[in-house]
Amino acid sequence: MISRLRSARRSFVPRGLTSRPLLIAVIGVILFVVSLLGGVATESFLKVIPNLDVQSLVVIIFGGIPLFFVGLLWELNASAESESADSVNWLPISPSEYVFASSLSTEYTYSPGLMIGLGFSLPIAIFTNNLPAYSVLVFLAIIASMTGSVGIEVLRSALARASSSFNRVGGRPVIVLRIVAIMLILVLTQLLFNGFIISNVIGSLVSGASSLSFVPIFWPTLAVTKALESDVVASGLFVILSLALFGGLSGLAVFMKKRFWVLPSTSIHLSGKGAITGPSRLGFLGMSQLSVALLRRELRSATRRKEVIRLIVLPLILPVMIGFPFFLTPASRPSGASSPPAVSAILGAPFLLGVGLGALVLAMTSMGQEGRTLWNLGALPLSAGRIVRAKLLFTSLITSIGLIAAAIVSSLLFSLSIYSSVLLLIIGFIVILAEASLGIAIGSRFPDFSEGPRPRFVTVTGSIIGTVLGFITLGLMVAPVVVAIVLASFGGSQAFVSVAIAASGAVGLAVAFVGYRLSIGPVEKILSDVST
Amino acid sequence: MALTEPAVEVTHLRKMYGYNVALNDVSLSVSLGEVRGLLGPNGSGKSTLMKTLVGLLKPSAGFARVLGLDVDRDSMMVKRAVGYVPETPRLYEFLTAAEYLDFIADVRGLGFQEKSQRIKRFLGALDLEGKEGDMISSYSQGMKQKVAIMAALLHHPKILLLDEPLNGLDPKSARVVKELIHELSREGVSTIFSTHVLEIAEAICDRITILQHGIILAEGTSQELREKAGLPGSGLEDVFLKLTGTRDVQDIVEALLR
Repeated sequence: MISRLRSARRSFVPRGLTSRPLLIAVIGVILFVVSLLGGVATESFLKVIPNLDVQSLVVIIFGGIPLFFVGLLWELNASAESESADSVNWLPISPSEYVFASSLSTEYTYSPGLMIGLGFSLPIAIFTNNLPAYSVLVFLAIIASMTGSVGIEVLRSALARASSSFNRVGGRPVIVLRIVAIMLILVLTQLLFNGFIISNVIGSLVSGASSLSFVPIFWPTLAVTKALESDVVASGLFVILSLALFGGLSGLAVFMKKRFWVLPSTSIHLSGKGAITGPSRLGFLGMSQLSVALLRRELRSATRRKEVIRLIVLPLILPVMIGFPFFLTPASRPSGASSPPAVSAILGAPFLLGVGLGALVLAMTSMGQEGRTLWNLGALPLSAGRIVRAKLLFTSLITSIGLIAAAIVSSLLFSLSIYSSVLLLIIGFIVILAEASLGIAIGSRFPDFSEGPRPRFVTVTGSIIGTVLGFITLGLMVAPVVVAIVLASFGGSQAFVSVAIAASGAVGLAVAFVGYRLSIGPVEKILSDVST
Repeated sequence: MALTEPAVEVTHLRKMYGYNVALNDVSLSVSLGEVRGLLGPNGSGKSTLMKTLVGLLKPSAGFARVLGLDVDRDSMMVKRAVGYVPETPRLYEFLTAAEYLDFIADVRGLGFQEKSQRIKRFLGALDLEGKEGDMISSYSQGMKQKVAIMAALLHHPKILLLDEPLNGLDPKSARVVKELIHELSREGVSTIFSTHVLEIAEAICDRITILQHGIILAEGTSQELREKAGLPGSGLEDVFLKLTGTRDVQDIVEALLR
């Protein structure tokens, strides 16, 4: 059953891997050995740094592992879907059997990550004489990841219940509510499990003055940090509390599965008269009735499908998430007058990275999103070019909202000059065009039309190729401008900046054009061989 | 297209899925206004033939013409002329029925007045009035089937390709669809209609084609098929079972109960 769950459940982990338990074990062992060597190298490196407080680093590394694993599993599954349609739900399986098998499946799938943490910290424990604390760490890291995977079961049941209430509701307020909720979840998980925050939290825990010790998810970490301080009693107490947390969550997961095994019908159901639309105002912008229809369909799909909402949130939230360290580092925030161009350029780069990646991911998944409804497009008199342009327009529209929001936030926070803000916007729009076209070219070559609780929409191979090409394109576009601006700030010629911007624009437009052209053929092929 | 030309013409059509032959040297001709029934066991190639005619699948060999247009080369023109209901219509579940039909109408180029009137009329005829604002995901299989049928008819198609269109329909709606096919036939619309319900095929089809393993076994009116099977006066079910070489059904049932 565990194996069946593992192979049936969709995640970013390839199915070929999840359906082979032995392979996961082998990968885990290999990663343990590699991380162990990494730990040895790190320890040797730390030794040669003078006046370094090694023990503080050990506390952060050891304390961070359990915290990371409770959080990582939550984050990975934050948008997990209801599994009411799982075939196992129709079989004679008790809620406790289901919860046990499902959480064990999650735990095992992500166990190679645990092996990395434990492998890396072993040599550090040996060389810093912290082996007793390491043994506590091993136990607590396993308990932490099991707590995380059981927590997912609670989350799944809760989300399934919430989804059954909201899923069929088509009103605009609910759509906005849903998007905002997902953005909040992403920001919250990013805040909670950001390395910068983890080190600060652990610092607060170690100082002993923090009330964070009352927060259950920090108990496994506290058990380890207390063991490092040789406080056996406190460590033992937090071990017991951690086990109690695990037990409590397991009980809650079983209770919720029992309660919501068969989902109740929708509790809120808004229904209107439908929507027969008249001529669109976009017609004045030269858009045909057909183009407006396709764009409207994309927007409705993006805002109403749970599995797609998390994708459209990415271009909106990624610029902010990638620029996160700058928000959290007061030193990077200049006060008073406008930032110098060099600072603006360096601050703008992470935002552009976020915008570009957001556009890339959204576009790469856009063909696969059609899934089994692809015949609808195939049976209609629609050319491949029309479909590609509609998807390009939709991706650019959504990502531009993220770009504009990022530009406004960065202008306010970092006092960017008008010149820098406009520059950021212009380069941003070209980045969006380039990455969106590239994304559609990749997504149409490597679409994944299979459906499930967490559909992938693009094959693993496509994701890897797309991400590599996307980063190369971003590098080619953004790096020359940043370098030219920085050089100009240190006395270099201003002309270099203009040349770099022009070159960046030319690269972006060329990639956009080539990407668009390369998308047509695969989309034509997809439409001419559709299985209904 | 000259009036004497067939509405649908399939010549030596072959379709392969990898090494599997789905259609093998299929030739048939459907005239204007004709209702052609496609019968055959599961996996006989009926749906593949429909998908090829609407341009969803490329023929591996041979050719098919719809209103004189090559389905492969002139696929856009063919799609404009054809209304298609697949065997299992997967609609956009994130849309309401009204939004889905609105989308189809917009892509088909219908004006506001025309699409409003036609959508409203169809919704009323197939008992979906008042439910058009609900998401399709909340619909039953029969309701989804109705939406797919409406979508196929919205743009006044000249050719209808209906792959088991009565699946899941309530008796009243099934009757409406059957009558509609009759009426459209009088107006010159040709229909290819696949079904497993032989009584329906006999009742509404002018001619019937029986497919098995991608090959046409027999073709003709129900009377001609009876004569070919050497079973005059028998029901179409007996004719079908004899032509498709099905062994005695009673033996199969007894084997299952053993």
